[in-house]
Amino acid sequence: MEDRYVLLIEDNADDAFLAKRVIGKVFSDKIILARDGEEASDLLKKMAGDATHKRIRLVLLDLKLPKISGIEVLQTIRTTPVLRDLPVVVLTSSDNDLDQERCKELGILDYLYKPLTADSLQRLFNPNKDA
Amino acid sequence: MEQTAQGRDLDPLLHDMSGIALLYVEDEKDARDMVGKMLVMNYPNLKLYSAENGAVGLELYREHCPDIVMTDINMPVMDGIRMSREIKSINHEAPIVAITAHSDTSYLLNAIEIGIHHYVLKPINYDELFGVIDRILQQIMLKRLVGEQNRRIRESERQLAGAQRIAHLGSWQWVLFDGSMSWSDELFRICGLEPSTIPASHQAFLDRIHPQDREYIRKSLQEAMDNRHPVGVHFCRIVRPDGSIRVLRIEAEVMLDGKGEPESVIGTSHDVTELKRSEEKIRSLTDELERRVIQRTSLLQSTIKELESFSYVVSHDLRAPVARLEGFCRALIEDGGDCPNFICRGYAERAEEVVRQIKRIIDAFNDLGHYSRCRLVIEEIDLSVVVRGISDRLSRSMPERVVEFVVEDNLVVNGDARLLRIAMEQLLGNAWKFTAKKAGARIEFGCSVQSGILVYFVRDNGAGFNMKYVEKLFKPFQTIHSPGEYNWNGTAIGLATVHSIILRHGGRIWAEGEVDKGATFYFTLEKNPESGTLLENNEKNNSL
Repeated sequence: MEDRYVLLIEDNADDAFLAKRVIGKVFSDKIILARDGEEASDLLKKMAGDATHKRIRLVLLDLKLPKISGIEVLQTIRTTPVLRDLPVVVLTSSDNDLDQERCKELGILDYLYKPLTADSLQRLFNPNKDA
Repeated sequence: MEQTAQGRDLDPLLHDMSGIALLYVEDEKDARDMVGKMLVMNYPNLKLYSAENGAVGLELYREHCPDIVMTDINMPVMDGIRMSREIKSINHEAPIVAITAHSDTSYLLNAIEIGIHHYVLKPINYDELFGVIDRILQQIMLKRLVGEQNRRIRESERQLAGAQRIAHLGSWQWVLFDGSMSWSDELFRICGLEPSTIPASHQAFLDRIHPQDREYIRKSLQEAMDNRHPVGVHFCRIVRPDGSIRVLRIEAEVMLDGKGEPESVIGTSHDVTELKRSEEKIRSLTDELERRVIQRTSLLQSTIKELESFSYVVSHDLRAPVARLEGFCRALIEDGGDCPNFICRGYAERAEEVVRQIKRIIDAFNDLGHYSRCRLVIEEIDLSVVVRGISDRLSRSMPERVVEFVVEDNLVVNGDARLLRIAMEQLLGNAWKFTAKKAGARIEFGCSVQSGILVYFVRDNGAGFNMKYVEKLFKPFQTIHSPGEYNWNGTAIGLATVHSIILRHGGRIWAEGEVDKGATFYFTLEKNPESGTLLENNEKNNSL
């Protein structure tokens, strides 16, 4: 089986470090880090171009990003046909109702509060595990 | 009609003769005594002076100025004719009655010349005498009455003029058939003129009015006359001879004659210049006040904006680094388990707990701001049902505790169901918590009427508090119990939240307590929440 990727879109180095640490505990996937919305968009387009996007297991998306916001990145994903079905998890530290609503409209796997924990990540893929 | 001692009818005019005096001069003592007695009997209120000759009579007249003189003619020392002449020289109008045995014409002519108009012949016929005196008295009384009326008229005229002067209110009457007009003195003065220094006429009146207002006033008067309705109230300017301008308030009525035709117009002209100036001043002060209110409001708004952005920072921006801290604490606990220094893990765990505490404070802060700003949905709520729900839940949460809940039925209020539930949960939660160490714990919810206002209360018999800390109770982040006491690890924001919610409902909240005896929290709710009392209370309790 080919390598799978987790795409982490996060501008803060500490948050990126913490998220990588937890992702590493749950998946053995390769973690690709994009440090702002623009970089993420460019990367996704490139991956769509060479069909590597199919190997993305999960997109972890911070909402407050420089240049292009997380919501805009999500919009790009949902409006790009080949990327449309990518599983996206929003990772945020603030509970902005409007953002949350908008994200749900666009379609997300979940809306998780920082810090990311191994439990919440595992639960996404094995929803019945703790039920 | 009243009757005298003699049985004569007395003219109603003569009822009150007090103060009227009569001088009787007669040299024969017997006659003097007899007539005097008869006079006193017939005119009990008459003041009588008696003299035995003209000289004494004149002396008495000079001294007392009696209203009537009655005199014998032929007397020693000074006869009646000479005395009468002297008296007439003092008071030309003094009524003198001559009582004489003489009937010869020379006496009579003399008497007429002097001005003695009344005679009674000796021997005296009393009916005749009293008839004469009655006539004189009638004249005196009439004169008095007229004088009194004149005095009253003069007095009210003086009062009217004084009142007009004080009020700067002039009056006028415009007689239509000849166009003549009479002005009160004050109207002249209002026009800047000395009274009666110009001929008062309708045209003169119009001439005083400012050219821009003249036609308007002329028309108003004419229309009122044509339609026979009151002129109403009009304001106009007049120009005084010195060029200064006064503002008049004119009010007038059309007076109709017997056939319903306009006869005259009666009106008042009130100098309201000062009043208008005050109005102007008030208006400019009001404008100034409004300007300041706007200024202050915008200041306040910017302060509120700053506060809002501050709370945004606290509730949103602060969350990111706190979450980061939490993440690192977790990383320390999970990855530092192999650390040879065993104590590190303990520190990491405590640090994580501190982070949780910070998060609780941020949440509480956020909620507090939310409760004081969110939109209220007002509906009828049965607080008794709400309270019972909360008490059941509390009892189920710790079945081992025995707490007696006493809840008054049917306490229906108007309010926001969600917020009031939060407030009641907080109040009952506190009561539950602070009765934890009490045997026979009892928590009561009820309502009483204080000064006509419904006051709801939550009472417990638990730990209570010292009243000297009562001010601290409703302030956020202030506590009167030590952390750990009563398992307390909250954010000290619960009662501040309740306070905020009650304020939103236009109510007030206060507490009474005694250490180890219990606490009672009282609150009121406005029938129409968010009415004026909210502002008032916010000003009084700026603890939020």
